[in-house]
Amino acid sequence: MRNAYIVTAVRTPGGKSARGNFKDTRPEDLLSFIVNAAVEKTPNIEKKDIEDLAIGCAFPEAEQGINIGRIGAQMAGFPDYVSGFTINRLCSSGLEAIAGATLRVRAGWSEIVIAGGVESMTMVPMAGNLPRPHPEYTKINAALWGAMGTTAETVAIRYNISRHAQDEFAYNSQMKASEALKKKLYKELVPTPATKYVLQGDGSYKKETVIIDYDDGIRPETTIEGLAKLRPVFAAGGSVTAGNSSQTTDAAGAAVIMSEDKVKELGIKPIAKVKCYTTVGCRADEMGVGPKYAIPKLMKLAGIDLKEVGLFEINEAFASQAIYCINELGIDMAKVNIHGGAIALGHPLGATGAKLCATLLSNMKEKGVKYGVESMCIGGGMGAAALFELCE
Amino acid sequence: MNRKIRTAAVIGSGVMGGGIAALVASAGIKTLLLDIVPFDLTDEQKKNPKERNKIVTAGLDNILKSRPPLIMHKKDADLISIGNLEDDFEKLASCDWIVEVVVENLKIKRDLFAKIEKVRKKGAIVSSNTSGIPLKSMSEGLSDEFKQHFLGIHFFNPVRYMKLLEIIPGKETLPEVMKFMSDFGEKILGKGIVTAKDTPNFIGNRIGVQCMIKAMQLMVEEGLMIHEVDALLGPAVGRPATAIFKTSDLIGLDTVGHVSKNTYELVVDDEVRDSFLLPEFINKMIEKKLLGNKAKAGFYKSEKTPDNKKISKVINYNTLEYEDYPKPDFTCLAEVKKAKTLPDKLKAIVYADDKGAKYVWKAIAHGLVYAANRIPEISDTIIDIDNSMKWGYNYEMGPFETWDAIGVQKSVEKMEADGFKIPANVKEMLAAGISSFYKTEKGKIYYYDFASKGYIEYVVSSNIISLAQLKGNNKTVKDSKVASLIDLGDGVFCCEFHTKMNALNNDVTDFIHAALEYVDENGAGLVLGNQAGVFSAGADIVPVSMGAKEKKYSEIEYILKNIQNAVQKQRYAPFPVVAAPYGLTLGGGCEVCLGADRMVVHSELYMGLVEIGVGLIPSGGGCLNLWKKFVSSIPEAVTGVDLAKYFFPAFMAIVTAKVSTSAADARAIGFLGPKDRIVFNRDYLIGEAKKEVLKMIDEGYTPPVKRKLKIFGEAAQGMVDVEILNMQKGNYLSEHDAFLAKRIGYVMSGGEAATNSEIDEEVILKLEREAFIDFLKEEKTIARIDHMLKTGKPLRN
Repeated sequence: MRNAYIVTAVRTPGGKSARGNFKDTRPEDLLSFIVNAAVEKTPNIEKKDIEDLAIGCAFPEAEQGINIGRIGAQMAGFPDYVSGFTINRLCSSGLEAIAGATLRVRAGWSEIVIAGGVESMTMVPMAGNLPRPHPEYTKINAALWGAMGTTAETVAIRYNISRHAQDEFAYNSQMKASEALKKKLYKELVPTPATKYVLQGDGSYKKETVIIDYDDGIRPETTIEGLAKLRPVFAAGGSVTAGNSSQTTDAAGAAVIMSEDKVKELGIKPIAKVKCYTTVGCRADEMGVGPKYAIPKLMKLAGIDLKEVGLFEINEAFASQAIYCINELGIDMAKVNIHGGAIALGHPLGATGAKLCATLLSNMKEKGVKYGVESMCIGGGMGAAALFELCE
Repeated sequence: MNRKIRTAAVIGSGVMGGGIAALVASAGIKTLLLDIVPFDLTDEQKKNPKERNKIVTAGLDNILKSRPPLIMHKKDADLISIGNLEDDFEKLASCDWIVEVVVENLKIKRDLFAKIEKVRKKGAIVSSNTSGIPLKSMSEGLSDEFKQHFLGIHFFNPVRYMKLLEIIPGKETLPEVMKFMSDFGEKILGKGIVTAKDTPNFIGNRIGVQCMIKAMQLMVEEGLMIHEVDALLGPAVGRPATAIFKTSDLIGLDTVGHVSKNTYELVVDDEVRDSFLLPEFINKMIEKKLLGNKAKAGFYKSEKTPDNKKISKVINYNTLEYEDYPKPDFTCLAEVKKAKTLPDKLKAIVYADDKGAKYVWKAIAHGLVYAANRIPEISDTIIDIDNSMKWGYNYEMGPFETWDAIGVQKSVEKMEADGFKIPANVKEMLAAGISSFYKTEKGKIYYYDFASKGYIEYVVSSNIISLAQLKGNNKTVKDSKVASLIDLGDGVFCCEFHTKMNALNNDVTDFIHAALEYVDENGAGLVLGNQAGVFSAGADIVPVSMGAKEKKYSEIEYILKNIQNAVQKQRYAPFPVVAAPYGLTLGGGCEVCLGADRMVVHSELYMGLVEIGVGLIPSGGGCLNLWKKFVSSIPEAVTGVDLAKYFFPAFMAIVTAKVSTSAADARAIGFLGPKDRIVFNRDYLIGEAKKEVLKMIDEGYTPPVKRKLKIFGEAAQGMVDVEILNMQKGNYLSEHDAFLAKRIGYVMSGGEAATNSEIDEEVILKLEREAFIDFLKEEKTIARIDHMLKTGKPLRN
């Protein structure tokens, strides 16, 4: 198969769900903005050159419903013939979109495709607006629909991840992110318009737009002592707290995938290529361990040793599962989530795959790292992982 | 003038001020809470509004954090706005009632009132919550118009829970203002009103504190121990279980010390002024900061044994060391235990002659004499003194009722023999051949009036109906050992339960059936109500336990069917049925209310379906009717509603045995619907329920048409499974809880039925019964029932 490249990868800032910067911003707006930004940041292309939009979304209903991939394309002003679709594998949806779009281009079926992800966790709650677990199958395996935090507790108990270790991990995530925010290291972040309903003197609201250029979940004032005081959320006497869990977040991310022929024709300098992508299942009640299985499988498929990988973006759904996976695989913590992870920056479900890709590629470029791995755990008991190779 | 209180202001955000603000806001009135700017601010802090409001902010915080809660529902806190006396004083100009609750210092109060006079709007009422400072000194030098609208309004702590409200007119206070505040206090704030004179500590605390300190002095004289006094002067004589010393620990010894000293100084003419002097050991305790519960050491102290068990120790007043103490063993207490009524208990104890009884006799006799000597000094009537002690000190009987209970003639003879000086007014009454302070004739209560030397009818607000009086006046139309049907007039009848804790059993159910039939024949409507300590603690589980052990399942099913039929019968009766619950309304008691057409409830309502605590499911239509209460609020025009949003709160209320902390909370949980009405004064409840029945009849009552009920169906059960998994994994539910919860979900969602479908009500009733019987076959349910019967507490197994 021919080569395909990621030529642009960008993301919106993350806004804390329900309270943060994008709580009043529709997901379609976040999506259409970020795909337009991706086009604008790519030299020598226009909207008319895009063939299709592949958009990951974990709960594609209500505000994110019908087919947000197509709606996003239309709202972004792409010509009618630019198609779009929505893809769902919960937390790896954005990465799934990028992997799938890459394959489509490599197969020669497309020249330029935008792949990305979007999630407004404010507007569409986790598990969706109308969760309806199968009333007979729940008698056998209710964990398939269970709360994610409960699985994090299970991982902590089953694999002895202490409260202190989780809090320390969370603290480090916050500190790395605080540092990156201060030093303006999030090169992949595009300042994004947010809708605000501003209360007027007469009690009515007026809709206004403001530009947001930072992730609002970062808390530089975090201390380990402060984290230690938080109460467990999911279990009496448990260890998983709001402080050592990922934040629920509204955000979007997008990447432009281009064939080698097109890259040459347009004279574009690509960033990286998706070298390999894989997924694997595990027990639903400990879904957080997914990366532990997905990353070795990926390495084996790609024929690359884990030691050759210079940077990792391993999604911090919960400190307990992230610690477990990193330790089990013997990954050097210094290479992981160097600008902080979801505990500080948020985990916008279907957008996370595209968001982490943008961050990883930006960091690989910055550090001149040849191989980078992105991985995450997935509800229902799965892991996904992708290997990126930096272009020279 | 048509006076209204739109906005109230409370100045002072301490325990009392905060409590008053919380009550007024809970009654739905906008309240401005003010306190001083802290004295010790730096120049920088002085510019910061947050720092300036620090004291009042902390006061509001304490209101919101208080346990038991002072505010009835957390959203009522929205009605309280805060400020400080420097920046926000002008806001008092818009207030209709200004309550002063600042430190007990005459100069500070006078300065404050002088300032208030300048800003208050004409006609605004100003009151002081003082207990020690004469009103006349506080208002001295202020304008006539101010004095006409100035009065003492004295609440008791904790404000929300204590019924007594003493209202004290100043010399110039307008009668119209007195009348208005009495009505307002009674109707809107739900209090029991006593009009007091402007004398030190008014009525409640004057009598109450004398009683308390005299009891302490007598203890030392008679050589009793602290825990012995508490055992003797508690429920045995109709007073709270905290009796003397536990109450002091609760109040704080420093406060007791302050009150005693303050009263001693003010009551210079008291014939027994010394009875306000604390025994010396208590002053030593105050010096040593052994101040009671807030200091974690007072007359009692709880300690932990090496094996981590909590034990209570009591101080030995000779050594001031804490010691273990046994349960006091007085023969008189054993006699009291045998007595059924309070008068019998009192007689059993005051006329016995062991050491304990002799002490009780002296303590009570001193109190009776002191009370009689206070008329007309602090009050003109015995009624106001008795009410003050019942409402402000939770005595079951006031001094004069107590006196009647032990026999006035007999006790006076004993007093004389023991060297007591009998009050002249009592002597005179006995000499005139009158030997009781109260009498009841034709259901009317009369009390003896010392001034006119004759009986006067005790007239209460026309809103108050007393079932006891009606029964005394031959208004009982149907009677049994467990319940009565009482004629409330105008064709309305009241079905009153009177079992222990008003527990429901099959006899009560039979009576409800009979009452419904009677009203159908002879009446226009029915009130389900009573006037005891609790509305109903739920079904009596003794017969259930016995039936289960003997595996008499068909008999149990019959009992369940009987109560379900009664609940359905009342729901579909051709006349209105209004339930009037108050206080504890649990399990079966709650189910009976949920089945009524409407509820008129007291603001203090602790309602819940708590059956899961004994391993059971509400099976008197509770699952059906709570669900119905939730879904019946959906207008027919609304289709395709997500029933999960309705199902889960209803389901969780049962699965977590949620009990409301107030009527407002019961409404928030969903036990009360939009047509159910909250009444603040408990004495009004039966009257208001009767009014509701009459109103419904007047509006043209037709019974509801029985139609199929909207149910969530099977989809609920998948959701329940997942929710239960989450809760179980989180250690919030035991395995047995999970088992019970899943079945409860099955019942409430209509069993094996299509999602978002409709079903006959009887199907859910049948599912309730089947689940109940199946639960009784579980060992762990039996263990829960046994544990509850043995300990009175639920078992988590």
